Amino acid sequence: MQIHAKIHLSRASGFTLDIELIVKPTGVTALYGPSGSGKSTVLRLLAGLERTKPGDQVLIRSNENIWQSPTHFEPVHLRNLGYVFQQPQLFPHLSVRGNLEYAIHRRRGERRLDLQQVSDWLGIRHLLNASTTSLSGGEAQRVAIARVLLSGAQCLLMDEPLGSIDYAARLQILPYIDQLRRLLDIPIVYVSHALDEITYLADDVYILDKGRVTARGSVFDLASSLEVNSREGDAVAAVVEGLVDAHDPAYGLSRLRLGDQSIHVSLCRQQPGTRIRLRIPARDVSLTLQAPAQTSILNVLNGVVSEIEPITDAPGLLVKVQVGQQFILSRITRKSSEQLALNPGKPVFIQIKTVALLNEPTQQVLPTP
Amino acid sequence: MQHPDITALSITLQLALTSTLLLILLGTPIAWWLARSTSVLKTLIEPIIALPIVLPPTVLGFYLLLAFAPDGIIGYWWLLATDKGLAFTFSALVIGSIIYSLPFYVQPLQVAFETIEQSLLDAAATLGATPLDRFRSVVVPLSSRGFITAICLAFAHTIGEFGIVLMIGGNIPGETRVLSIALFDHVESLEYAQAHVLALGLLAFSFVLLMLVYSLNRRWQMRLASRN
Repeated sequence: MQIHAKIHLSRASGFTLDIELIVKPTGVTALYGPSGSGKSTVLRLLAGLERTKPGDQVLIRSNENIWQSPTHFEPVHLRNLGYVFQQPQLFPHLSVRGNLEYAIHRRRGERRLDLQQVSDWLGIRHLLNASTTSLSGGEAQRVAIARVLLSGAQCLLMDEPLGSIDYAARLQILPYIDQLRRLLDIPIVYVSHALDEITYLADDVYILDKGRVTARGSVFDLASSLEVNSREGDAVAAVVEGLVDAHDPAYGLSRLRLGDQSIHVSLCRQQPGTRIRLRIPARDVSLTLQAPAQTSILNVLNGVVSEIEPITDAPGLLVKVQVGQQFILSRITRKSSEQLALNPGKPVFIQIKTVALLNEPTQQVLPTP
Repeated sequence: MQHPDITALSITLQLALTSTLLLILLGTPIAWWLARSTSVLKTLIEPIIALPIVLPPTVLGFYLLLAFAPDGIIGYWWLLATDKGLAFTFSALVIGSIIYSLPFYVQPLQVAFETIEQSLLDAAATLGATPLDRFRSVVVPLSSRGFITAICLAFAHTIGEFGIVLMIGGNIPGETRVLSIALFDHVESLEYAQAHVLALGLLAFSFVLLMLVYSLNRRWQMRLASRN
């Protein structure tokens, strides 16, 4: 399912929304922005949950079907999509199993997922007979995700699904959502104001502010601008994708391919050939003009300076270095920049002190559906 | 021949059952609309439905009597459709009861409906439930307490009704003579023994019904409390 939406509306409160959005048939399209940017309204419009007023111009197409136009409104229940709300919205009069069966009885299309399988995936099998009111926030949201999967949705809309969950539970659920992305061949539209969720999950990102798209592109292209926008000077980091190459359990390391170069990370569980995301904080990346010799730093790559920009709200510069097709960010002082005479196009060596793996799998390895 | 009080009891039960059934069909959508609508019409409809609570039954009965007369707005069409007069018939009593008991059915249900979060219905819709399905599978089970209260109140209220029945039904044995009228007749004829039987019966019935409603409500709250 591919969705194309053109939305133009304004409210008496002064809120306006002026957005064109394309959701590709696979992968995660993320809407990122501060609260009040209109990202949740866009999602509700896609689902048909948001009422439009005369004068609003909303055109939503899914494949060849028109979901919404000035003359047509396809009701929510016919749009074949699943919606994960910020609150789990489990039916309180039904047990966990009852909630899942509710979705199964109304299943649309041919989905081969069954209740046991999905319960195992999301680690809720032991909760099936529990009352929904006895669940923790994280458990309830996992049940909600399972319910949506069982409904045979052809597209998954997720509206800050981790917004009401504590930090520890969030870290626990993110990998589940990440694996859905890998296992299901349906598009996911993911709304969040949490940058770590976006860099972890998203493929395409729309950055929204005050009802407008301020930037759009792949998560890798936008990572640097994302981080700067977040105004978290110390959190500036690049996101790159590597291919698992080999494991070295003796040293507790795994080797990844990054273009035609290698990078070492702490031992991961993925099979060789798997793509995983790495987060490289800009403050842990230093630049040299000569290949460093006899250093304790394991990861030294060569690249070419692509851009240099000042950091908002903080001293220093952010240097964007191209490595193969991807970019790594380095945060350096103005003085270092002048000493090295850095300019776009200049070849440099990149020393990377820390690398964080983003896509660590969940404890249990998921079966393929 | 059946004892006249037994006949009155049977008429009363028929009237209460018929009225309550029709109230469920008619009052439920009204309650739902009142609970969900933001229309300006609501400010007009709500007090109209609540009127019987404050209005003397005889006032309502008087207007209904005029409307049910062969040249009244309802009676005229009734005569055309059924070839019979409407006033002083069982059907007239049913219509009168529905109007008179409407607020007792609609109000508890409306309160129950108002507590159901829209987001829960949105969730059901995104799972593929049609509007009617959402009502049946989410709204009804979550407002079952409201339904029980509404049905009991409407039923009991129809059984105990007097003034309106007297105005539009008269006192025709086997047709419109209900328990409360029979009780009135006994008192009029100084038959206090028979009056006692009916009065005590109605008192006991009302008490038991209310006790049932309250204990169901309490059990419900305990169930909710034990869940949380």
